[in-house]
Amino acid sequence: MKRKALALVLTAAITGSLLGGCSTAEEQTRTTDTEDTAAVKTDLQKEVVKSGSSDDIKLSVFWWGRQLRNEKTQQILDMYAAEHPGITFDGQFSADYWTRLATLSAGHTMPDVVQMDYTYISQYAEKGLLTDLTPYIEDGTIDVSNVSEDILETGRVGDGIYAICNGINAPALLYNKTLLDEAGIQIHDYMTLEEFKDVCREVYEKTGYKTSLSYGSNTNGDFLPYLLRAQGKLLYGDGKFAVDSADDFVQFFSVFEDGIKEGWHVDPSLYVERTRGQAEQDCLVYGSSPETMSWCGFYHSNQLVAMQNSAPEGTDIAMTTFPSDNPEISNYLKPSQFFSISTDSKYPDEAAALIDYITNSEECNNVLLGERGVPISSVISEAISVNQSPDEQEVVHYINDVVTPKSTKINPPAPGNASEVFSLIDSLTEKVLYGELTAEEAAALLFEQGNEYLAKE
Amino acid sequence: MKKRHRISIYKESTAGIIFCLPFIIGFLLFLVIPMGISLYYAFCDYGILSPAVFSGLKNFKIMMADELFWKSLQITIFYAVVSVPLKLAFALLVAILFQKTSKATGLYRALYYLPSIIGGSVAVSILWKRMFATDGMVNQILHGLGIEASIPWLGNKNTAIWTLILLTVWQFGSSMLIFLSSLKQIPRTFYEASTVDGAGRWKQFTSITLPLLTPTIFFNLVMQMINGLLAFTQCFIITQGQPLNSTLFYMVHMYNQSFVHYNTGYGAALAWVMILIVGTVTAVLFATKKRWVYDGGF
Amino acid sequence: MKKKTKIKKTAYHIFVSVFGIIMIYPLLWMVMSSFKESNTIFITAGSLIPEKFVLDNYINGWSGFAKISFGTFFKNSAFISVTATIGTIISSSLVAFGLARCRFKGRKLLFGAMLLSMMVPAQVLMIPQYIWYQKLGWVGSYLPLIVPYCFAIQGFFVYLMVNFIDSIPRELDEAAKIDGCSYFGIYYRIALPLMVPAMVTAGIFSFMWRWEDFLSALLYVNEAQKYPACLALKLFSDPGSSSDYGAMFAMATLSIIPIILIFIFFQKYLVEGISTSGLKG
Repeated sequence: MKRKALALVLTAAITGSLLGGCSTAEEQTRTTDTEDTAAVKTDLQKEVVKSGSSDDIKLSVFWWGRQLRNEKTQQILDMYAAEHPGITFDGQFSADYWTRLATLSAGHTMPDVVQMDYTYISQYAEKGLLTDLTPYIEDGTIDVSNVSEDILETGRVGDGIYAICNGINAPALLYNKTLLDEAGIQIHDYMTLEEFKDVCREVYEKTGYKTSLSYGSNTNGDFLPYLLRAQGKLLYGDGKFAVDSADDFVQFFSVFEDGIKEGWHVDPSLYVERTRGQAEQDCLVYGSSPETMSWCGFYHSNQLVAMQNSAPEGTDIAMTTFPSDNPEISNYLKPSQFFSISTDSKYPDEAAALIDYITNSEECNNVLLGERGVPISSVISEAISVNQSPDEQEVVHYINDVVTPKSTKINPPAPGNASEVFSLIDSLTEKVLYGELTAEEAAALLFEQGNEYLAKE
Repeated sequence: MKKRHRISIYKESTAGIIFCLPFIIGFLLFLVIPMGISLYYAFCDYGILSPAVFSGLKNFKIMMADELFWKSLQITIFYAVVSVPLKLAFALLVAILFQKTSKATGLYRALYYLPSIIGGSVAVSILWKRMFATDGMVNQILHGLGIEASIPWLGNKNTAIWTLILLTVWQFGSSMLIFLSSLKQIPRTFYEASTVDGAGRWKQFTSITLPLLTPTIFFNLVMQMINGLLAFTQCFIITQGQPLNSTLFYMVHMYNQSFVHYNTGYGAALAWVMILIVGTVTAVLFATKKRWVYDGGF
Repeated sequence: MKKKTKIKKTAYHIFVSVFGIIMIYPLLWMVMSSFKESNTIFITAGSLIPEKFVLDNYINGWSGFAKISFGTFFKNSAFISVTATIGTIISSSLVAFGLARCRFKGRKLLFGAMLLSMMVPAQVLMIPQYIWYQKLGWVGSYLPLIVPYCFAIQGFFVYLMVNFIDSIPRELDEAAKIDGCSYFGIYYRIALPLMVPAMVTAGIFSFMWRWEDFLSALLYVNEAQKYPACLALKLFSDPGSSSDYGAMFAMATLSIIPIILIFIFFQKYLVEGISTSGLKG
């Protein structure tokens, strides 16, 4: 009797594992039965759906973001599906996006359409995980006639275009306009670094508010190349830094060093007490005393809305350009995010059509309303502006009237192995802020160790 | 014939293997294979996005020169050695306090156990940061006590690790539960007999409770030591290793290497070195077991 | 004399409850914050009581994402946690009994394997496990979140129960054997009833861990409709921008209720248990 019960439990357990085994076998036969010998991969989900209804195509779309974006994106996918019978979507939004995407790529089960970022595009494209979109652009599946060449080019890695930008962005110094107005401090667009430091000093003297530089907003990786651009220099070369010596890095670190020495930079311990890069915790909008607050923050233009929403009632957040020796050269337009088609996709044609829809459909963009950045099609950007909020319009104004006329082309995307360099810049900056390194020492270390990282295959 | 068959099923070794069958199958099917693959990765250049290429001992050579490897190892060992005994002592104390069954103790047990259930949530991370901020609650309380304090607990490289240790000790609930359930295993008669003999409370504790609890203490020690060395969440949600990498746990360093920098092969090598260390520590603990752990049932 | 003990008792209760409140302060804080207006949570982190009690966060959070309500996520979590926990308890108790009570070749090796299973960090297994489960065709389903646990692969629970069985007098086994009981009979009739406290402990932990297991859900569950609550909770925060703490805390508050209920309901078995009193040797 008892033995029977044990046997039963064991049988149940073993059957469980066998069932798993069965479905694998079935899975594989089904894959080989259907088309596509090139793609010998098992995407359970897709297959299951396919077997469900005869020839429905189910595209999986993967993005990151929060509630608002999830809802808007799901909504446009539903709209698209309604217009195109036979196509359905599996919209996936995820926390921990890059970990999950990397895992999916390891299993060759990347979704058809994936949201991409400028920092990751080289890595994914170089490893052959993204589909070259050039043919789709050439045959008009993805219509780019209203998109500027520079913007389109941001999706280029090597010989191919691997991603279509879904919103335009630019580096933006967000600042507390109310505070400056009350103190009677005037600032203007295209400030030079020296002018900027003077403002920092003046603000500190007059109001007690300090400054939080790019370290506090996780934008060191943007600010350092921004400063170099003013000298006409790139940060990354082929397997090494593009600059000749550590001297070129000194300026960047010395801004932090000066700030700490002269007292106008916030105490670095503040950054451990907050989550860096989170709007509502940024010292621009949050703090118990002027000592713990900053008059500005180094962000990107699309973050204005989130920052304004996080600001206390009555505080107006405005934006201007990052400072450098020559902001008009340093400045650039930047893709906020991209959409790419993975090489794991079985339906790249349909996926390309979807990207075209997101790029060129007015109806679609009237739902999205530039949530990912200013639409790249000038026609669309124009068309949706009437439906945008004042803050959203301010972003468009900044992009179109402040950055576009006085900027140069963005640097090529950072190489695939640059993520360690980002971390290095961050930890060296932290050491400068804590007074453990001088600007010169930090620059020398960055040059030496960074080159080692970049040389790694 | 029939009788022999019966005997074979009654046989101890056959029964033992049958009982262990689920684990044997599960271990082979779900752990050995992935563990084998990850061990292989430890000897590979592997970056998730492209296939692994065998590279011999390269990862281990990199490790020897990796400043953060040594630093995070040091931090993690310090953290485990300090937090584990504190946590266990606290858990045991509370378990003994609330051993008696009454309405009040039921409530107390819940109060003291609850912190463990929100473990690594965002709420804990925000609150911990706010509590230990320079202008946070802890300094305000110190101020209220007349101590002039504006200590950046999290921002100072000497104090930051202590906030993580405190968080660990605060979540002692799981060890407490295990102590509670084994305290109840100690037969009442033991205490009754010793009361007759005139033993006081403290005497009872040291001569009955503590010796009989040693197997559970040992169990909790092994478990918490393993967990301590493999700690991840506390650092990951609160400090991310800041400031100046003074709170960088080994596992977080490994995670960053694997999933932020996509040095997954190197990450696997880091993990296997840690597995070796944890294995050694556990083996040493087991070697000392005979000396102090009561063995013989009740 | 009597008065003195009374004072002592009162002092004890005051101390224990004050300290208890400090212990659960963070939890209280989260619950209270869930009733604050979402954009004031961070600014008013220093105070416990909301200036204005609002339910918006619950309404907003419950509505979930892309038309999938949070109720769905909770249902998914419940299904995963309950099945995996039942599987864990049954399989772990069998294995523990085998390891604790039967001498056989390879027992030490198995014990070592069980300890090893606890030492391998989940983060290093992520990729290999994913690739392996994908080969099994399990990705996209709940199988990786449930089936392995039915095979006692969490050494912690096995070890916990081994420890427990060790403390049960062996004389009981011997007596049962003389009565003609098989090993399974000893397991079922003698060990199992005595192991209730250990199984309850394991059940509480297992349920809680499965309920909060965000990592495997992240890797193996594709469709949003199938997300468990712990994964859905992460969607309220966006590390690159700003987070909806209000909705997050509201749903986090709801999501700890099952764990609290389970603890409160089962803790009496833990401490009252089917204690050894009737079996003292």
